[in-house]
Amino acid sequence: MTDSSRCSRRLSSVLVAVLLASLPLRVTAQRQAWTLPESMETVKVNSFAVGRSQARDTYLSGSTYSGFAFGWENDGWAGYEPHRFFRQGRLHSDLYFSYMENPLGGGLTLEFSGRTYEGFMWHAVKNSKCDFLAGPAVMLELGVLYNQQNSNNPVNMEGYFGGGVCADNTFRFSLFRYDMALQATFFTPLAGFSMAPDYDQPYYYMLAYNGGLGKALHFIHPFNNLAFTQQVALVLPIKDKRLRVGFTCDGLKNNLGGHSRFLLNTMATVGFAMRYQTKKWDR
Amino acid sequence: MSRRLKNLAVVTAALFMALLPVSCSWNGEAPDREFVNTPQGNFMALWTIMDEHYCFFDLKKEKLGVDWNEVKVRYAASISDNISDKALFEVLCKMIGELRDGHVNLTSPYDYGRNWSWKTDYPANYSKDLQNKYLGKDYVIGGNGYYYRILDDNIGYLVVESFEDAMSDSRMNVMFNYMALCNGLIIDIRDNGGGQLTASESLASRFTEEKVTVGYTCYKTGPGHNDFSKLYKTEISPAEYDLRWIKPVVVLTNRGCFSSANDFACSMKALANVTLMGDTTGGGGGLPMSSEIPNGWVVRFSSAPMFDADMNHVEFGIAPDIRLDMKDEDVQAGKDTYIESARAFIKDKIVNF
Repeated sequence: MTDSSRCSRRLSSVLVAVLLASLPLRVTAQRQAWTLPESMETVKVNSFAVGRSQARDTYLSGSTYSGFAFGWENDGWAGYEPHRFFRQGRLHSDLYFSYMENPLGGGLTLEFSGRTYEGFMWHAVKNSKCDFLAGPAVMLELGVLYNQQNSNNPVNMEGYFGGGVCADNTFRFSLFRYDMALQATFFTPLAGFSMAPDYDQPYYYMLAYNGGLGKALHFIHPFNNLAFTQQVALVLPIKDKRLRVGFTCDGLKNNLGGHSRFLLNTMATVGFAMRYQTKKWDR
Repeated sequence: MSRRLKNLAVVTAALFMALLPVSCSWNGEAPDREFVNTPQGNFMALWTIMDEHYCFFDLKKEKLGVDWNEVKVRYAASISDNISDKALFEVLCKMIGELRDGHVNLTSPYDYGRNWSWKTDYPANYSKDLQNKYLGKDYVIGGNGYYYRILDDNIGYLVVESFEDAMSDSRMNVMFNYMALCNGLIIDIRDNGGGQLTASESLASRFTEEKVTVGYTCYKTGPGHNDFSKLYKTEISPAEYDLRWIKPVVVLTNRGCFSSANDFACSMKALANVTLMGDTTGGGGGLPMSSEIPNGWVVRFSSAPMFDADMNHVEFGIAPDIRLDMKDEDVQAGKDTYIESARAFIKDKIVNF
């Protein structure tokens, strides 16, 4: 780990700790900054994300690359119909582009990735101060890593789909009579399938020979594929708008087909929340 | 809400917050090992990458007597803490050069480390000037590295300088239309250093009327020297809906034919109506991959071995059907022994046909 990344991690930890310590958790139920959508309602937040990425994929290189990243995130909360078992949905999608260099600055890795998950949530705690949702979730991730140093196998695909668990917590509070909400979301996949080359299997072989692709599909579980997406965000009402300023951290560490892969994105996000009525599809 | 529920909410939220620094400190250290950027670290990284991924250790031990563990001991003695970067590069290049494999290279700002003895230790059997003389000035450019014309005795002559790019289907159709009335075709791939396998396969598919097994291939499935996948058949299928060539073909080869050109020679040798003339090809029968050592230098190595239709390794080249050497008297007379022999061979074949 470089000194700068260690420093930025410490800084972000301290900032969150200071923020938490300074919060007088006084509930003002009349003027809430954030409420979950009612049935047939959806709240969407489109955010711009910018931050830092790290990647090491031993199929491409043994070195850990790091650099900057930017992208787009879409977060959603949906109130399902009343008769459904899970009353709430939690959606998250993102697209990131990362530009990373090796420790000596002499090599370049580009990453383009997109992921989406949808959680089907049970409303575990619901009161004027707090909403806590938890439930199962499904996710899909696709991406590509391009390593400029590597002349013969410069590209590795990343992709998996699976099921996991998702939890989402919203705290409403006021600070100097100003209503705000603090949100935290956590998702981790528990089982699924991932694509990864079988050790030194060239992509050419995967596509050219019958059965070659089958070797590249792996069953994943937390012992060979540990991944998470974590978000912390502050919702600030500005007139009738809701500004959402947050921090997203998503990581992946796996060992598939004899190669290890480590990916970490730490992104600051900013976006506005919009509330919509959900119309039923009229057949 | 009961006090208990409130506490639960607060505890849960605190847990979420606590996870944030945990996730931020999630680092990318390799769980098993991480080589460091020191002379010894780079040496060990290179030796280990080769040890776990290079595919021809047994073959090189049998044919060249290379013992990779002995190589490590011998070269480790040359590495010290204060060795300069340039000296380190030279030692590392010498170490991997022991394998005498054109697909094994080390790239650094100092040089492109290689051992090209597969080519330089043999007669060239090729003259660019003479080749240009046969091509003349009105040859057709059929793509990047593809040049052709019809020789005076109505024999087509195609020079393939490189397989870096494939000749497009439409350009191949134009070429075969242009040569439709020729008695035969000479394909000159001398000094073709390779390129894309798909480019060589695409050209070879124009010279067969049926699917032919031209070889086998596999890839490494683990770090052991003998960890290989099952064998996959390499087949050349006739190009459908496109023109195919069924008249005699002579492929001219020399030691400069490497990698995809070696693969092309291997495929063509398995086809009917095709005769290989010249010298044994340079080899390069392992599909290469690349990796990186901690100081950023890039290492390339053979990772997927290829075999001919009789399951022989093609790493040391493809032997011609008819062995040729360039004659000095021909060169002095402005003639290319290879091209003249191929013309005579095709004429003879047509007469006997």
